[in-house]
Amino acid sequence: MAMTYMRALARSAQLLGLAVLVLVQFVGSVLPLAAGVITGLRLARVSTNRRRAQFGAWLGREIPEPYQAPPPPPEPDEEGLYRHDRTLYRSPWFPNYMHRLEWMVNDPATCRDLTWQLWFPLVVLLVVPIGLPVAPWAVRGVAAWSACLLRPATRVKRPRRTDRILLAWARCGLLFLSAVLQVAQLAVTLVCFTLGFGLGIIFLIPVGFTHFRWLANLRRQYAGWAGEPVERPYTPRLRPELRADGLYRVHKSLYKTEGMAEFNARWQWVWHDPATWRDLAWLGADAVVTGVLAGIPTLAGVYGAFGLALPWVWTQAFDAEWNTWYGAVAGNRTAGLVAGVLLTAGALAVAPAVLRLVSRWTPLLLRPTAKEQLRRRVERLTQSRADAVDAQAAEVRRIERDLHDGAQARLISVGLTLGAIERLMDTDPAAARRLVAQARETSQAALTELRDLVRGIHPPVLSERGLPDAVRALALDTAAEVTVAGRLTGRLPAPVESAAYFAVSELLANAVRHGHAEHVTVDIRHREGRLRVTVTDDGEGGADPSRGTGLRGIERRLGTFDGTLAVNSPGGGPTVATLEVPCALSSPKTSTS
Amino acid sequence: MRVVLAEDLYLLRDGMVLLLQSHGFEIVAAVDTGPALLEALLSHRPDVAVVDVRLPPSFTDEGLQAALAARREVPGLPVLVLSQHVEQLYARELLADGTGAVGYLLKDRVFNADQFIDAVRRVASGGTVMDPSVIAKLVSRPTPQSGTLTPREREVLTLMAEGRSNAAIAKQLFLSESAVGKHIASIFGKLNLPISDDDNRRVLAVLAHLQRSF
Repeated sequence: MAMTYMRALARSAQLLGLAVLVLVQFVGSVLPLAAGVITGLRLARVSTNRRRAQFGAWLGREIPEPYQAPPPPPEPDEEGLYRHDRTLYRSPWFPNYMHRLEWMVNDPATCRDLTWQLWFPLVVLLVVPIGLPVAPWAVRGVAAWSACLLRPATRVKRPRRTDRILLAWARCGLLFLSAVLQVAQLAVTLVCFTLGFGLGIIFLIPVGFTHFRWLANLRRQYAGWAGEPVERPYTPRLRPELRADGLYRVHKSLYKTEGMAEFNARWQWVWHDPATWRDLAWLGADAVVTGVLAGIPTLAGVYGAFGLALPWVWTQAFDAEWNTWYGAVAGNRTAGLVAGVLLTAGALAVAPAVLRLVSRWTPLLLRPTAKEQLRRRVERLTQSRADAVDAQAAEVRRIERDLHDGAQARLISVGLTLGAIERLMDTDPAAARRLVAQARETSQAALTELRDLVRGIHPPVLSERGLPDAVRALALDTAAEVTVAGRLTGRLPAPVESAAYFAVSELLANAVRHGHAEHVTVDIRHREGRLRVTVTDDGEGGADPSRGTGLRGIERRLGTFDGTLAVNSPGGGPTVATLEVPCALSSPKTSTS
Repeated sequence: MRVVLAEDLYLLRDGMVLLLQSHGFEIVAAVDTGPALLEALLSHRPDVAVVDVRLPPSFTDEGLQAALAARREVPGLPVLVLSQHVEQLYARELLADGTGAVGYLLKDRVFNADQFIDAVRRVASGGTVMDPSVIAKLVSRPTPQSGTLTPREREVLTLMAEGRSNAAIAKQLFLSESAVGKHIASIFGKLNLPISDDDNRRVLAVLAHLQRSF
């Protein structure tokens, strides 16, 4: 008994010593890290590993090491260069260093180590002296708490609902901050206008109009939190045009210097864009509307928690001071606690609704005007029409080339052979017979080529059966196991049918070729005037429409019909590609081809 | 042997009528639309029908649909379907009822009169004839069991699925009939299929297996 107590006292002394060491360790890892040096962290890991062994021995159980494996040394590419991010280096030193830095910093165990190092001295100083009478338990407590932080993290599962509500509340806070910032921005704008219009410092005027566009754009994005993100409404920037006589032209004005022309173009662009004026109206109005809407839950939550509920704990525990608004309501501390909890709970409860309200209010002033939307649509249509014409011309050229080099050439050969047969028929019937066999083979080859060509232009099964069955036929020719679900009650317009077929064909080929998928599901539906085809595969994922030319091609092809392609393909899969095309179904009876 | 012929291209229809007549077939009806085909099949009950997949008035797969409809009325009605292109999807639909007496060939096969007439006769007698390109696709797909077949066994399997007899396979591959028999026994063992001497049952078993396995 006495032995145990003496040993605990010795360990308490050790802990006090360690408190100093760990504090030094913390400072020694964080300060160099700020300069990008990880040596301190690595030394700290060695020392922390000793603590793991030590506390593990005290607790009688092992504390496992939580660190991720170090990255392999960088490999040179074919040219003998080393890559980091988007730069190639001649020596492996820098990429190696960066990999190790990222490895160290991105490891969650590093964060937990540092947290432990930061709190350990405080905990020791608090627990060890107070716990001297019960030293064995105090020492054990410190060791157990350290073990909690030093072992590999186990994921704490919080219910989704709580996550969502906390997130909504935090977002309300962000919106409130935005509203506060907008007040400041409004002031900046007013100063710009006063100086610009009053004192003639005109270059400040466009600044006053546009300096807060980044925030407006951010808020357009935030509208997606509880609804749809808002499209940016600004017209494309006006640029001065350099004329042959060396003058710069903006609309009907000519300028000698480029700087002046640039300024006037900017002025014209900003001044004549309705979005500028709507932004300005938004800046003022939204500061009030969002300020009030988001301010209520934000402030109520903060005040309830930190002004009423927590102070109740402090004042109760440490006999600290309180007054009528801090830690109590109307002088009653119990009422203060109840009100604090209720305020916080209420703030959390209304946060999602507030987000929805703000998301509905934001587009009113921030979305593009009807005219601007129309202008954009015209632009898109012009683009997609040009794409369609180009694609069609290329397709026709390909068909012409295939026919010219393939079937046409073979038919000429058949004709020549027939001529030879005609000459030989009487003189050398045996040779003529050989030539007949040859002509038949050539005509057969021509047919095969024509068949492949036709399949590439418009697969016969598509005109015979429509999209779902054509996809089923395609599925039978695909190396992966493909399940086709869904059906259509009528036939799609022929061009849409064809575009959708080739899109699915490309997606299936991608799934097998790039994703190495084994199972693919294709779902075909037509609802509310839209054809929707979903292709889901269990491949490796990582498909990106902005990189693959195949996916870009599908997008362009569908774009001709106002259709869209959405690809969701996280690394490791699964990949879900959804294509949607607005179109009408015709009844199956009336379709002809 | 009484034949109903459905083909919308006049030249081809005429050519096939001549070809079949010169081989001793009796053409009871030569039609050019889907509805007329169905009517002819049900009223004449021919010994065999030779049908083009794509027919007026809709120019979709009306010929195939009429043939399938007639076979629902008259199970086992022998039908040889011709098409400009072969689809495994169509082959499956023809084989689905499992009664045999179906054929599915590319139109090009008509060029080789002997083979074509042979196919018509085999279908008429209740056999199954699939175009080599359908079989090639089925056999070339790696399936868990067929992955272990030797190349020679694959060749035999392909010919067997086309409906050839042991003798015909032996002749084509320059093997003795007993060697073919051994290969077939080995294939049936590997694919876990019941052994049968009846050519047609054998074809159906092989096709059913190949289709089931993916």
